Amino acid sequence: MEELFAPPSYEWKRLSPKYRSMRQLTSLVVPPILLTIPAVIVGVASGHWWISGLIWAAAIVIAIVRFGFVGRSWRSWGYVEREDDLYITHGVMFRSLIAVPYGRMQLVEVESGPLERAFGLATVTLKTASPETGARIPGLSPEEATRLRDRLTELGEAHASGL
Amino acid sequence: MTASQQPPHTSAADPAVTTEGPPPVPTARPFKQTERPHPLTPFVRGWLVFVALAIGWGREIVTNAGDDQITAGGLTWILPILGIVVVLAAITGFVAWYFTRFVIDDEELRIETGAIFKKSTKIPFERLQSVDIIQPLAARIFGLAELRLDAGNSSTKLRYLSRSKASRLRDYLLTRAHGQQASIRDLDQQAAASVFTDLGITDQPLVKVSQQRLILSFLLSSEWLIPATITIIIVVTTAAFGVVPLALGGLIPLLIGMVSLIWRRVIGMFNFTLAESPRGLRITRGLTNLTSQSVPINRIQGVKVSQPLLWKFLGWHRVDVDILGYAHGDSENNESNASSVLLPVATLEEVELAIGRVLPGFDLDAIELHPSPRRARWVRWFDFWTLRYGWDDRTLITEHGWFTHVRDIVPHAKTQSVRIEQGPLQRLLRLADVGVHTPRGPVNAVAHQLDEQTARELALSQLDRARAARAAERQRRAIEQVRTVDHQGEAELLAAFGTGRDQLLGSGGESEVFAIDHDRVLRLYRSRHEAPRRTAAQLQPLYQSWAGCDIGLELPMIFESGERNGRFFTVDRRLSGRNFSGWLQHADMAQRRPALISFLDATERLQQLPSPVPGFARLIGDDAPQQFGTLVELLSSMLRGPLQSSRTQLERDIAGVAEVWNRLHGDLAQRSVVPAMVHGDVCPPNAYLSQGPEGPVVTGIADFSPHTVHADPLLDVAGALIFLELEPYADAAADAAWLEAVAVERHGHEIVRWIDVYRRFYGFYFSNAYAFDSRLYAWCLRQLSR
Repeated sequence: MEELFAPPSYEWKRLSPKYRSMRQLTSLVVPPILLTIPAVIVGVASGHWWISGLIWAAAIVIAIVRFGFVGRSWRSWGYVEREDDLYITHGVMFRSLIAVPYGRMQLVEVESGPLERAFGLATVTLKTASPETGARIPGLSPEEATRLRDRLTELGEAHASGL
Repeated sequence: MTASQQPPHTSAADPAVTTEGPPPVPTARPFKQTERPHPLTPFVRGWLVFVALAIGWGREIVTNAGDDQITAGGLTWILPILGIVVVLAAITGFVAWYFTRFVIDDEELRIETGAIFKKSTKIPFERLQSVDIIQPLAARIFGLAELRLDAGNSSTKLRYLSRSKASRLRDYLLTRAHGQQASIRDLDQQAAASVFTDLGITDQPLVKVSQQRLILSFLLSSEWLIPATITIIIVVTTAAFGVVPLALGGLIPLLIGMVSLIWRRVIGMFNFTLAESPRGLRITRGLTNLTSQSVPINRIQGVKVSQPLLWKFLGWHRVDVDILGYAHGDSENNESNASSVLLPVATLEEVELAIGRVLPGFDLDAIELHPSPRRARWVRWFDFWTLRYGWDDRTLITEHGWFTHVRDIVPHAKTQSVRIEQGPLQRLLRLADVGVHTPRGPVNAVAHQLDEQTARELALSQLDRARAARAAERQRRAIEQVRTVDHQGEAELLAAFGTGRDQLLGSGGESEVFAIDHDRVLRLYRSRHEAPRRTAAQLQPLYQSWAGCDIGLELPMIFESGERNGRFFTVDRRLSGRNFSGWLQHADMAQRRPALISFLDATERLQQLPSPVPGFARLIGDDAPQQFGTLVELLSSMLRGPLQSSRTQLERDIAGVAEVWNRLHGDLAQRSVVPAMVHGDVCPPNAYLSQGPEGPVVTGIADFSPHTVHADPLLDVAGALIFLELEPYADAAADAAWLEAVAVERHGHEIVRWIDVYRRFYGFYFSNAYAFDSRLYAWCLRQLSR
């Protein structure tokens, strides 16, 4: 990882490989499904089914391209629990690194949707008083998510400071 | 042991009344007179509903006007419905009024509402963040006002009261919210405020915005000019082709937007006055709806100073602030961001005056601003030359924009989180953005297009600055909390022990000591935290264990401890004689020198005291007694806490502090000693002096504390010499040097090196003083840079 987004001398934690599998699946399945509806409508309405074929081909191309990016996107995620703050980095094209001091955390949430549950994954979200913070770590194993939540809550209490 | 005394029995029941007849049923509290809001309330609410409906329908009719002709028949059925709705609203208004009751007195603030579902809201006075008075036009006509109480994130309304009552209650509640005692009866005689500005006689206006300036500034603002220009362009072009009705669909929303802008920026800000009252800043504004809001300064999270292009020629600025939990409380009147305006238009001097009040000590021009690199023009071609950022030890500033020039100011202590972002184009140019996040509101501090390396340094150092600022803020609050303690309760407590303020013997950061009698003192702790309680509980057995050993010194003793009126106290042994520190300031050298020798003797005698545990150990504090294998482990553990808060500060103030730190550890690792009792803070303020056969000598050492350890006895000897330098008398440094020579003569020349090592140790140990004691911190810096 590039130096700008990786403070030195810390062990960066990565997301579960299952998250990559989940993203690979969704990247392959979602575009064809989404584009099937307009493809069918166009086909029925115009009678030119070759346009539908083109739309379908586009869907497959999008799916393949997205599939190709999943690995990089998955690798770009990382987080590290530092002494006083939590760092989260992600993004391939648009990169970001966010640092949230433990003393500023107001809420730590663990969520797991049906698809995530099927893959045995959970998402941890940190909230501060600022809506811009938006710190979120997806694709964690439930044990890691629970551990992280408990740890962050504990650290948050220890560092807590008024606003 | 810790027999806390029972407070004197305080019962409301008079014994004389209850002597005969059955014993009285203990009532929770005497019957309390509750009040209803003003009886005109339902009418005003009904009127407001009517206005809201009229505006709603009006908008509908106007919007549809383009497609459809309004028929007279439409109105004939609308009007009766309107009438029914207004009557219904008046009835619900009446019911709501009838079942609303409130109590605001010396004890509580409680509001009860609801006909079927009863709701009782009780707000503790200390939780009140702000109290605003709002007067919609209809209420104003009847001389009524709404009281809006903000506590935490919830806002409670009390409507409507007569205006004079509302402002009296507001003053009373704000006084109580600041933790001061006041009685509601005292406020009844106050003169009423002016009808047009709601300023009382005690309010001192800071900035008044004249009507001419407000209107002119509005007409020149980008916010107004852009929609106005677009409207003109649309009208002119469509008129040229003769197709104006086609554009109505776009024009009408635009016009409505403009009207609402006039409403918010001109009508809402009319007669804008920022005033200073005894209870903080206050803003009053509004032509039709008069709003009077208090500005809770400690809840301000950031400041935004903006300047539309045309204002530049007139030297005007606009100031908005982020107020925690406030920005979303006001959406009902479509004023969502009105309450965050600190100044709608002001000159630079006025801006500086106002910012000086909300961020004390902040100087807009004192902060050096750095521009973004030239290559930012490839990304921000439209405003790259305006991008700037800078910081000082308290705030961060970012600047951008030329069409509207914006400066965002964020105090470090309010930083919520920090983000570095980089898009693909920025990556090619090695640029990045740094965002410093504050709670919801107009302030959005982003340092745009910095060099990658700079961005990274800014983000990481901002986290450090924010951490240091938070630590300082905590210290400040702890001290502030101490100042706002209930003085009435304190006087009562002192009286219960037969003492008073005039018996004050000494005061330190943690506690104050009052004489009770010849043998005892009352030590009254300032904070309500657990720490002093735990310290006292650990010191008591330690002192007890020394009761039998005679080392020729008076030592402290805790007789009892307890809590009363929310304050923790101990009753301690009173050491005979007078305080050494006070005496030193007036004694001449011939007297001082023998006394200092006796001070050194006393320090050395402390080593003979037995320790409850063998080996190197911390005796007081978390998990105490806590044993360590080596001296260096013990001392590192002692330094951990202070350094956690002062590290960043030290790194800034001392070049190569890491090297000093490593050298200290290297030195300490070489020290081998048999551990002995170490007081840890042997300094003149903790020593007591009595008349001996040949003059005054030190006869007692008090105040063992969390500094007390079982470790190198030289720690105390070194401490006695070097803390002497901190004494506030002219020859303190010379005396310290002289006493050091005496100690070296006694213990041999090799201790010179160790005194020097312990200087650095104490320099680190007390370095967290940067947050609250600049003199002590300066001393620490001197020790560390030797």
